[in-house]
Amino acid sequence: MHRTLRSNTRFDLIVVSTCIVLALAARALPNTMREPVATGMRRSFLAPLVMLQESAERGRQSLLSADAKQAHLDSLSLGAMKAGSLEGENDRLRKLIGLGSRLRWGFIPAEALHGRGVRDETTVILSAGSRAGVSRLSPVIAPEGLVGVVDQVDPTMSHAMLWTHPDFRVSAMSPDGTAFGIAQAHLTGATGGYLIELRGVPFRATLKPGDVIVSSGWGGVWPRGIPIGTVLQEIKTSEGWARTYLLRPAVNPADAYSVMILRRDRLAKGLDGVWQNTAQVDQAAQRILVSGDSAAKAAALAEAAARRAVIDSMARANGAAPLGAAPATPGATDTSAAAVAARAAAARAAAQRAAARRAAAAESAARQADTNTTRRDTVPRRDSVRTDTIPYRPGAAR
Amino acid sequence: MNLGGAIRAIISFLIFVVLHYTLRPLLGWRAPMDFLILALLLASVRVRPATAAVIGFVLGLISDSLAPDALGAGAIAMTVVGFGASYLKAVFFADNLVLNAFFFFLGKWVFDILYFVGEQRVKGVELLQQLLLWSPLSAAVTAAVGVLLLFIMRPLLEPAPA
Repeated sequence: MHRTLRSNTRFDLIVVSTCIVLALAARALPNTMREPVATGMRRSFLAPLVMLQESAERGRQSLLSADAKQAHLDSLSLGAMKAGSLEGENDRLRKLIGLGSRLRWGFIPAEALHGRGVRDETTVILSAGSRAGVSRLSPVIAPEGLVGVVDQVDPTMSHAMLWTHPDFRVSAMSPDGTAFGIAQAHLTGATGGYLIELRGVPFRATLKPGDVIVSSGWGGVWPRGIPIGTVLQEIKTSEGWARTYLLRPAVNPADAYSVMILRRDRLAKGLDGVWQNTAQVDQAAQRILVSGDSAAKAAALAEAAARRAVIDSMARANGAAPLGAAPATPGATDTSAAAVAARAAAARAAAQRAAARRAAAAESAARQADTNTTRRDTVPRRDSVRTDTIPYRPGAAR
Repeated sequence: MNLGGAIRAIISFLIFVVLHYTLRPLLGWRAPMDFLILALLLASVRVRPATAAVIGFVLGLISDSLAPDALGAGAIAMTVVGFGASYLKAVFFADNLVLNAFFFFLGKWVFDILYFVGEQRVKGVELLQQLLLWSPLSAAVTAAVGVLLLFIMRPLLEPAPA
């Protein structure tokens, strides 16, 4: 037994010595031979382990980069949120620029500084004062319409009464001049916000929901034609001799941050055409869209008709051919006839499409000529239409 | 060791090898645990020294193949560690977790010493820092993980009742 143990120990020593010698030999290999040996092992029986290690490394990289990605995502979300408000502000400023170019002269741009106090929803501070040409009772307007009137003026700033103020009144009328009244604020409830009520409308004058109400120009403070609101409904009052209508205001004062103050000398020239241009451009754009839809529909119908014609022609051509005939020469003749018929049908369809397009274009042009005196071949830009070429159109919907 | 015990030992050995190439790179610690050493030590105490030396040699080559500059260094270190562990199993093969932890710690530290000396890549103060700071830390982590795995995988690692 002692001999067996000794022989086992000797065997173990031989094996471990062999392993160590082999390992030393591997260690002593030149660099040019180590790499092929290691590569061969990695590509053969160690491939699964290498793959596992690579997957684990990728997982670790993903974990490490998750925080950075989340931070990046948060930045993008923040940017997206800011982009919305910037777009809104850009839109407001663009409208304001459009209004300025339509007014052309006699206005003072100003920032409206809203307070957050109890009475601040009826008044506002404006960032322009007497040095800029603001005077008391100067109208304050926004691209959408009426905002208020200046009631106090300092050299560098002024104080304006918004239309939501209980003492605010403006003489108003329907654009066609059939209904006149006095517009004032209407508090819908404790939290319902403000609407406008048009009081004193003659009983014989009726207004429909959606009708635009503008300033009448009477009284000397407000020029004629500034949008005040649109009719929502008639409300019943105790006054039996006149009607009272509820209006949706054209401008929500809380959203008006950039406004225009009209100078007194500008009022004498009137504001005819300033807001009508906008309405006409919107209407023209809508008509163009409708015309385009009509033309596309006509073209689609013509194309469908052409397809039907081709199919019918081919069916007729196939029906004329003798059944069971050899497909060599007669077949070629039939196919040629069908092709000629198809080409003719396609040409007819193309002619129909062209005619439909011409008709649609002519119809569109005729419609524009009926309602708009601007050039027919161009879409009028808000800023480039001459005000004296746009006649005042009573009843034009905004 | 009967057939069932051998199969269980092989399965646990493979589990350790797979963990070495998945969990270790996933964690990416500066002082990482060494599942290959754990697998070698747990296999070595179940086989005779010659077999343990061969297992260590193969594991070392596997380890070295992923770092070709040190090809052979890991094989030498693991051969020595495997042979030594199998030779000293009478001392360490006890049902005592603390003793097992020390066994793992010592195995990993000896491996690191042999490996870094044989590799000859790290020298001077850096080598001392590696052998006296990072290697003991890594050995401690390896020992802790080894004890934990011993506790978890006890049904696989314990010999089957007669």
